[in-house]
Amino acid sequence: MKRGMVSAAMRLFAFQASMNPERLQGLGMATAVEPLLRDLNGGPAGKAQRAALGRAAGFFNTHPYLAGLAVGAVAKAEHQGLSAQQVDRLRTALKGPLGSLGDRLIWAGALPAAAAIGLILVTVTHPLVAIGGFLLLFNAVHLTLRLWGLQAGWRAGVKVAEALRHPVLQAGLKAVGPVAALVIGAAIPVVAEWLTAGFDATARWGTVGVALTTVVVTRWLMPTVGAARLGMLALAATLILGWLR
Amino acid sequence: MEFATVGWLLLWGTVVGLDLATVAQVMVARPMVAAAVAGWIVGDVQTGLIIGAVLELFALEVLPFGAARYPDYGVGAVAAVATAAGAPGLFGVGMGVAVGLVVAYLGEIAIQLVRQQTAMDVQRRREAIDSGDVTAIYRTHLRGIRRDAQRALGLAGLGLLIATVVRVTAPVTLGGAVLLSAVAMGVGLGTTFVSGLRIARHAHGGWVWLVTGLLAGVAWVVVR
Repeated sequence: MKRGMVSAAMRLFAFQASMNPERLQGLGMATAVEPLLRDLNGGPAGKAQRAALGRAAGFFNTHPYLAGLAVGAVAKAEHQGLSAQQVDRLRTALKGPLGSLGDRLIWAGALPAAAAIGLILVTVTHPLVAIGGFLLLFNAVHLTLRLWGLQAGWRAGVKVAEALRHPVLQAGLKAVGPVAALVIGAAIPVVAEWLTAGFDATARWGTVGVALTTVVVTRWLMPTVGAARLGMLALAATLILGWLR
Repeated sequence: MEFATVGWLLLWGTVVGLDLATVAQVMVARPMVAAAVAGWIVGDVQTGLIIGAVLELFALEVLPFGAARYPDYGVGAVAAVATAAGAPGLFGVGMGVAVGLVVAYLGEIAIQLVRQQTAMDVQRRREAIDSGDVTAIYRTHLRGIRRDAQRALGLAGLGLLIATVVRVTAPVTLGGAVLLSAVAMGVGLGTTFVSGLRIARHAHGGWVWLVTGLLAGVAWVVVR
């Protein structure tokens, strides 16, 4: 294993610690790649490492779980002696595809799927099993991606796009959307029934009415309002109307 | 609430606030997890599970693509449980969720402030960072963690304060409490359906999977 790989892997877990509007994850990139650059010509804090770190700290934004691919690939490119322009082009070329892949695979796939499964488990099993099941299920995907990504990026270097064509990754990408949609669909009536178990029929139908109204409002009338804002508005209106009555 | 319980809630709120984006991202920040553990801390796991489930329905809407803004539902869930804990049945759920949403929204604003402070920090050390100074890069990065920990701790503290005020002052009758809970649950369920539609739109097979899931869920509820 490449020296510094364990340290770089640990630092990936704080990749977004210095997220900011100017460079987004740039400093996270530099911090994570630093252990892999210590053996560049001149050693730690040598000219080559400083130049590489300065480049790494520039603007960068991608999916945090797949950032390891970029970290590994950039470190390998620096070790192979690519020019500053070539390394910059590699960084720029990786941002979009890794971000898009991670968004589809995790944020719009594995996370909502695992959360919906967790919600269903909450209604049928012991809380420890439900919460533990959600965390285990999701983090199996999360940790595998983070650790595989760093290794694969280091192995592939500038040919990192080949790593993205890994058959398991592609199969996961194809399956995760339908699975997420399916379990979210299943979770809605199961969770609704569990949550409203203590309600009488009027309150139950009232909940259904609010849900249908919410669908109309967020789908057609105010699509950019956001769930939290809509929830606050609806609850504030309920409280005010309750007080006025 | 006992002093030790407040301490544990503040600690847990800080952990989940950091987990949202800054450190680990192992999803203990999901309201389902954050609220269940908060429920265990205050000795009311059932309320924690119910609050967590409702707020999780809201959080399913969040797709944190790129530099998107999103509420801090984890710390919100801790404050929500502190509001509703100990209330009989579903009495505190609606009010708890209301507090949770407000705190989550304040968390969203606080995240933007923290990131702007980090940007200023980076600007102050631009020369050292661009020259590849390891110490400058590393310390600036670590200050980001400290800054977000302070944000999460402060937000959790504010959340507990709001929870205490609401518990002492909110004049909610039983009927009003049920109505509030029904509204919170209804909005959560509705936004979850719309989130499902959004995910299904990009999925191979589209909305057929969502409808199949819905029908399967209804069948499960009827048969059970």
